[in-house]
Amino acid sequence: MINQYSGVSPKGDLVLLQKLGEKLKKKSFLHINSTRSGGGVAEILQRMVPILNELGIDSRWEVIEGDDKFYDITKKIHNAIQGNPENITKEMWTHHYEVNRTNAGRLNLEANAVLIHDPQPAPLIKFRKKGKWIWRCHIDVSNPVKEVCDYLMRYCSKYHAAVFSVARFARAMSIDEFIIPPSIDPLSEKNRELSLEEIHETAARLKIPLDRPALLQVSRFDRFKDPVGVIEAYKIVKKYNDCILVLAGSPATDDPEGEEVLNEVKEYAAGDPDIHILLLPPFSDKDINALQRMSSVILQKSLKEGFGLTVSEAMWKGKPVIGGAVGGIPLQIVHSVTGFLVHSVEGAAFRIRQFLNNPEMAKRMGERGREYVRNNFLITRQTRDYLSVWYSMENKGKSVLEL
Amino acid sequence: MEEIKPFEFKQCVSILKATGRKAGNLREMRDVIATVSDESIFHHTYQYFLKGHILEYTNDFAHWAGESLEERALGERLSGIDPYGFRNIGELRNELLRVIDEYLEKFPEPREAMHGDEFYFNQTITLTFPVGIWVRNLAEFLIAVKYIDAGSIYYHFYEARVRLGEGVDDFSAWIQNVVLNKELADRIRSIDPFMHSIDGIREHIVEAVEEEVKKSMEIIRQ
Repeated sequence: MINQYSGVSPKGDLVLLQKLGEKLKKKSFLHINSTRSGGGVAEILQRMVPILNELGIDSRWEVIEGDDKFYDITKKIHNAIQGNPENITKEMWTHHYEVNRTNAGRLNLEANAVLIHDPQPAPLIKFRKKGKWIWRCHIDVSNPVKEVCDYLMRYCSKYHAAVFSVARFARAMSIDEFIIPPSIDPLSEKNRELSLEEIHETAARLKIPLDRPALLQVSRFDRFKDPVGVIEAYKIVKKYNDCILVLAGSPATDDPEGEEVLNEVKEYAAGDPDIHILLLPPFSDKDINALQRMSSVILQKSLKEGFGLTVSEAMWKGKPVIGGAVGGIPLQIVHSVTGFLVHSVEGAAFRIRQFLNNPEMAKRMGERGREYVRNNFLITRQTRDYLSVWYSMENKGKSVLEL
Repeated sequence: MEEIKPFEFKQCVSILKATGRKAGNLREMRDVIATVSDESIFHHTYQYFLKGHILEYTNDFAHWAGESLEERALGERLSGIDPYGFRNIGELRNELLRVIDEYLEKFPEPREAMHGDEFYFNQTITLTFPVGIWVRNLAEFLIAVKYIDAGSIYYHFYEARVRLGEGVDDFSAWIQNVVLNKELADRIRSIDPFMHSIDGIREHIVEAVEEEVKKSMEIIRQ
């Protein structure tokens, strides 16, 4: 499996993976999260665990189980950690702990290194048997509801180390904190190379014309993704350049605001046949891939964002990207080098026009973007980083490690 | 024929570690620079080039002062600090503080960074490893330099300066001491590490070595 990444991932990453595999050979590595499918964490674990096993590391992925009440509570905790006001009662925390206790009895928690993903299984640390335990936080904890965060940190501070996606998300904790950005899998359905036939098939089925340049934003219909702002920018551009706009997202069943925002978007787009609003079913990975590949400019004009990996997905396809300067987007878009960062509708419109009128520049930035993703945001880099963190914990106190 | 000592390509990879300290304005930055670990100062200065592309600045402190605080003059002054000109991190730290203090004397009320745009002090754990490529002559060296990862150029061209001192990098050291070509070694040594991205450095090295290889082939033909 790892051979499939040769010629795709940087050579050095693959060499280091092999070397770390030799150092950690036959040791056991356990990942635990709260869902087997859906969401970026599960998507990456599905691919990462076989890679780890192939490197000679005895790796397992376990998923905790809980009742509806547990998931209601953990969703509230998740929201509070991201800054939405929520009240988590003592009784709710107790249930959170009890579900984890039951899972601890069910799961084999013995491993040389254990990576616990996100707040749902965080209390499992209370049932540690041996090995290094690392808490991996994928969400933005830079501005949380204090009481909720403080309570959660009672568990997290018991770990040997914590891993955050962005330096800004890290907290002042008494344990080692590492920064490891998330990644995309270049070989997944969402990112693999597509044939022209495959792209044309999606275009025909979704009724997207290919006779003019397409602008695309892939995101939930959420105000923080600013879909109305994207339409406003498109309307400015349209005065100068003939183009179409595609807004593609999944219907947000768990988000009561989603429908409201979608209606606003539809209303704002009404009367313009060149605006295509696509509601794609979940797991429309290949269609999203094809939409990105048929587009001339890809936007992620978010007003608030976690990491925003859709930017890396677009860059991986060599497309020129324009993103809001929020969350993890500036880590992916180096302004004027791998794309453009914008702060307003007008800024977005101006940059779209620049790309449409300078195809050479768009191509150059797209190519640089692809290389930037190759070097920084592929799954092999993330796997390498996890193993490096584990290896450095086995060699604590050294800032340079020779392999 | 005497066996030539091959050049072994290595590479380094750095894992980012948070120090838990941050600054929202210049005074806070000054105070943290004064007390943060040597590893953190090292990361924000020497390892700036590991990012792979040069923007307007030559270290993270200058970048933040110029872009986030919009103190352009300070950004320029901090960018003028050459970390390779100091014998140790302590001296570099003192120079950073001297430049910031001088600025604060003239402009005592610098602005605050926007919320979310604070400076986060990090440090790294660096892993070095051989990439499995050995070369025995300049022609082989040329091919390898064209295709190795940027992390390998960083290790041999930038990181080596800290290891070897006195502006010497691994490439020119091997070319001078083993290939015995001082002229080419001097040419490589004269490439200014501050004025290029890693890929720019790669291009300059390739250009210099390619010329030399061509020259030697012409001599053979004659």
